[in-house]
Amino acid sequence: MNEIAAKAPQGHIEVKSFSLAYETIEGPVQAVTDTQIHVRPGEFVSIVGPSGCGKSTLLNAVAGFLKPTTGIVTVDGERVNGPSAERGMVFQQYSLFPWKTVRENVEFGLKMRGMSRSQRERAARTLLGLAGLEAFEKHYPEKLSGGMKQRVGIVRALATGPKVLLLDEPFGALDAQTRVIMQQILTNMWQRLKISVLFVTHDIDEAIFLSDRVYCMTARPGSIKAEIPIPLERPRQQSMMMSSEFLALRRGLMSLIREESLKAMGGEINDMGMQGLNIELHGHSLADVI
Amino acid sequence: MSSPALVRHPEDSMPATAIAEAGSAPAATPPALPASFGTLALRWYRLNRAGLRATAIGIISLLAFLLVWHLLTTYRVVFFVRFTNVPSPLAVYSSFTKAMHDPKFLMHILLSCRRIFIGFSLAAMIGVPLGLIMGRFKLVHEVVFPVAEVLRPIPAIAWVPMAIMLWPTNEQSIVFITFLGSFFPILVNTLHGMSLVDPVLVRAAQCLGARERSIFREVYFPASMPHIFTGLTVGMGVAWVSLIAAEMISGQYGIGYFTWEAYSLVQYADIALGMIAIGVLGLGSSLLIRGAGQLVMPWRSR
Repeated sequence: MNEIAAKAPQGHIEVKSFSLAYETIEGPVQAVTDTQIHVRPGEFVSIVGPSGCGKSTLLNAVAGFLKPTTGIVTVDGERVNGPSAERGMVFQQYSLFPWKTVRENVEFGLKMRGMSRSQRERAARTLLGLAGLEAFEKHYPEKLSGGMKQRVGIVRALATGPKVLLLDEPFGALDAQTRVIMQQILTNMWQRLKISVLFVTHDIDEAIFLSDRVYCMTARPGSIKAEIPIPLERPRQQSMMMSSEFLALRRGLMSLIREESLKAMGGEINDMGMQGLNIELHGHSLADVI
Repeated sequence: MSSPALVRHPEDSMPATAIAEAGSAPAATPPALPASFGTLALRWYRLNRAGLRATAIGIISLLAFLLVWHLLTTYRVVFFVRFTNVPSPLAVYSSFTKAMHDPKFLMHILLSCRRIFIGFSLAAMIGVPLGLIMGRFKLVHEVVFPVAEVLRPIPAIAWVPMAIMLWPTNEQSIVFITFLGSFFPILVNTLHGMSLVDPVLVRAAQCLGARERSIFREVYFPASMPHIFTGLTVGMGVAWVSLIAAEMISGQYGIGYFTWEAYSLVQYADIALGMIAIGVLGLGSSLLIRGAGQLVMPWRSR
């Protein structure tokens, strides 16, 4: 018992009675209202919702880039007051430093911590090896494919040993096949490191495939519409995406989101539009075709 | 715990490998048969065809320019523009060979180069840091920007009388004018570079534990580097323009003074020689800056 308590993994995210409003000339615009979420240590949690619902806003508040208007964000009981290396982040727009090689990018966080050159070089090499990128350590990001850039982005965020990893639609710009591979790489790293993950996506399949739990947000102003546990066993395989369990979860989430997407579009949709939307949503991810 | 993810998927890594190989020398690709000199030369030719073509056309174009110049002057064409007194290329060449043995001509050139070096270096050493600081700290920007905006449109030549009053020696006022000419393009471009720094990169650095000073050194500075070098290139061009004007008006020595003096002394070939020397020096200093840029920004050269 004692041993387990001592080794208790960290990274407990709590967001309580959270709201965030932007000031505009027409007065404050509510982006997120009355939201509570939590991520238990070592848990993989996704947030899905229609576009513009404030899911990225919520994630940016956990990262410390945005201050909540009301409410509080804590990690392991400590209030979040600004960005820190304790909360690693991966952005949709790769965000690698173009003037640094792959290895220098990965080393950046360690350098900021004051680690010696030889030590951080060794650490970066090990991490790049885990992600299958050791051959590209001397390349500049410009020469890498999108999937490789994002792998470097994930490795860079993990290099400093953060308590939690925040990902803001990290695979949104990748093609379907690369996305599936990246999802597996991410799951794999998460399982090895036992790190808490908060993952924002608009891809329902991605959310179900990766997560222990999925929060579904309402249309703007965003709040939590539903919290869906994903009981699928781990390790997860691509084939599970065809299982009846997966499809049931998918159907449920899809109808929740469709409701909200329609609300977000302001009810301008007639029957024709509904059909169009349907097709769009079903064709959204190619993953289930594979 | 199985690890299917660490098996590298060909879809993902193949294209990148191909890119990596394309960058290295053709001789380094392992499966290729030992290539003979002939095939290597042929391959080199195929890869560099566009560059060779540009060089060839460039040389032809320069030769054509010389030929037209030669014809216009030998036949003393008068057609709106009068070429009666314009020296021919051959006359300029002979005055060039004479000047090469004349220590005075070399001194003119060396003095101009020295003025450029001092004036431009000062402008870069003040303009770049000032631009970086103005881009980062709003208050400094708000204080300095209005003054800079009023002074900026004043051409360096218009500063000549003021410079003569301000500085005790002629030499100093000429350097000052050279400095002014290059200072504003450097400042403005550095500022522009700072305003274009991708905020996501700043946030990424913050998430990795970077503090203000590190963000400045590791993100803002390298991110604005391409624009800083644009500013340095433009600044170098304007520095020459300002220098020549200042030398013509108030100089003793210097290539601008040499050119103006040649006109006063009715040595027409020397006028053209001075002009060509200015052109070559300007071109050479731009190339130096471009080379420095490629050295400092290896991530931008391919």
